[in-house]
Amino acid sequence: MVFLSFINNLINGVSLGSVYAIIALGYTMVYGIAKMLNFAHGDIIMVGAYVCFFMVSSFGLNPVFGILSAILVCTVLGILIEQLAYKPLRQANSLAVLITAIGVSYFLQNAAQLMWTSNPRIFPAIFGNGGLQLAGGQLMVPYKTLVTIGVCVIIMVGLILFTGKTRTGKAMRACSEDKEAAQLMGINVNRTISITFAIGSALAAVAGVLLCASYPKLIPTTGSMPGIKAFTAAVFGGIGSIPGAFLGGILLGVIEIFSSAYLSTELANAIVFLVLIVVLLVKPTGLLGKRTSEKV
Amino acid sequence: MLKVEGINVYYDKIHAIKDVSFQVKEGEIVALIGANGAGKTTTLHTVTGLIRPKSGAITYFPEREANLYDLTKMPPHKMVEMGLAHVPEGRRIFLQMTVLENLEMGAFCKGKATKEDLDRVFARFPRLQERKKQVAGTLSGGEQQMLAMGRALMSHPKLLMLDEPSMGLSPILVEQIFDIIVELHRSGTTILLVEQNAEMALQIADRAYVLESGRVVMEGVGSELAASEEIRKAYLGG
Repeated sequence: MVFLSFINNLINGVSLGSVYAIIALGYTMVYGIAKMLNFAHGDIIMVGAYVCFFMVSSFGLNPVFGILSAILVCTVLGILIEQLAYKPLRQANSLAVLITAIGVSYFLQNAAQLMWTSNPRIFPAIFGNGGLQLAGGQLMVPYKTLVTIGVCVIIMVGLILFTGKTRTGKAMRACSEDKEAAQLMGINVNRTISITFAIGSALAAVAGVLLCASYPKLIPTTGSMPGIKAFTAAVFGGIGSIPGAFLGGILLGVIEIFSSAYLSTELANAIVFLVLIVVLLVKPTGLLGKRTSEKV
Repeated sequence: MLKVEGINVYYDKIHAIKDVSFQVKEGEIVALIGANGAGKTTTLHTVTGLIRPKSGAITYFPEREANLYDLTKMPPHKMVEMGLAHVPEGRRIFLQMTVLENLEMGAFCKGKATKEDLDRVFARFPRLQERKKQVAGTLSGGEQQMLAMGRALMSHPKLLMLDEPSMGLSPILVEQIFDIIVELHRSGTTILLVEQNAEMALQIADRAYVLESGRVVMEGVGSELAASEEIRKAYLGG
């Protein structure tokens, strides 16, 4: 029994961690290429969840269509935010960009409150309530959990292949290292940054749907805490690193669920951040972060 | 093929480049020489659009084309397509990418890096072939300079602009790099060379311009400048 509940907690941890990982992947890609922390990333998650909610619950459409519309709306929103809020600040110092990102975050939350009120909505069970029966029916893994973990793995592998093998992906890595040199190669840096925002925001939409499939209470600040935790996960794993964001996300989810199951629900978040601080003290670049050495 | 006329460049209030004019004709090696801080790199950055001039004109007109391009209006990432390649100071290769990926980035404007282009670069720089799977950050300084030049050659430049290719290299490697520049020139590439090492640069240059505090103070045929009293005193150590 103790063992089964341990396994159950582990699965829940990996599932929550998968959501963090998907958000963290978006954070880390945008940071890697645009060299900015997009604090509005968490709120794009919320927008994605709302779009899917309305498509499915209000218009009665198929969840697949709901997810696709969420991805579409968030991608467009991400590109718009980048063009309107961040692009004009390309030459500005990073503090100005950071403050703008916080501003965009509040803007999205307040706009959501205005349009959709702060009354909680209950996100529909789009993956059903069933699950996989294991250990003779003593352990049930819900389908939503399986989908969440599966989607996360697919996204991570997809991103690794994309940045490693494709022309656009390699151009992104070039921009992340040296924008001026990338321009001299004929790479359109502005377009590359826009593509990165589009990908990050599409991932945020997916994360929003998966998050609300497991934690169905949807309010305008739904994305804010997961956004901060995913940022933590990205730093934890080594910001800028795709496998790092994945590992950091999963670990963070597992630590959070274990802390609340075995130690204290109230202290779960405190423990998560304590672990982060310890890791950063021991390894300032994060678990998989690379120390950049330059030869002159 | 390149004409720079009276450009003025400011960094905020600092007047870095003052009324600089020079030109490069098809088939030449032209050197811009001068001490550290004379404005050589800034001039080159202005040509490739990384910095914009406050006034003046920069035109590019490859001989076999009837077109005239105004480089002061063209975004930097378009210039490679026009046949202008810039090997920046300090090489600026992508240290976390492999040698092969760096070369692929050099061919970015052409879409894919073709096997012929890669073979052509590897024939000129055999060391790069040996190390093509290696991450560029692990290369030695000389190899990094070769990679930076090989990367630029992937785009088939008509005009190759080299910024301090000798920087930080041992005298033997400097000789090697300059031999390669001469070979590239013989095979039909026009070269604009920015160098602090005036002695080496004047040996291979058809013509040269001397920059001092952001101004062109002297210009002439390479060998004549090398023989002139003033240049010997100021740049060649006697």
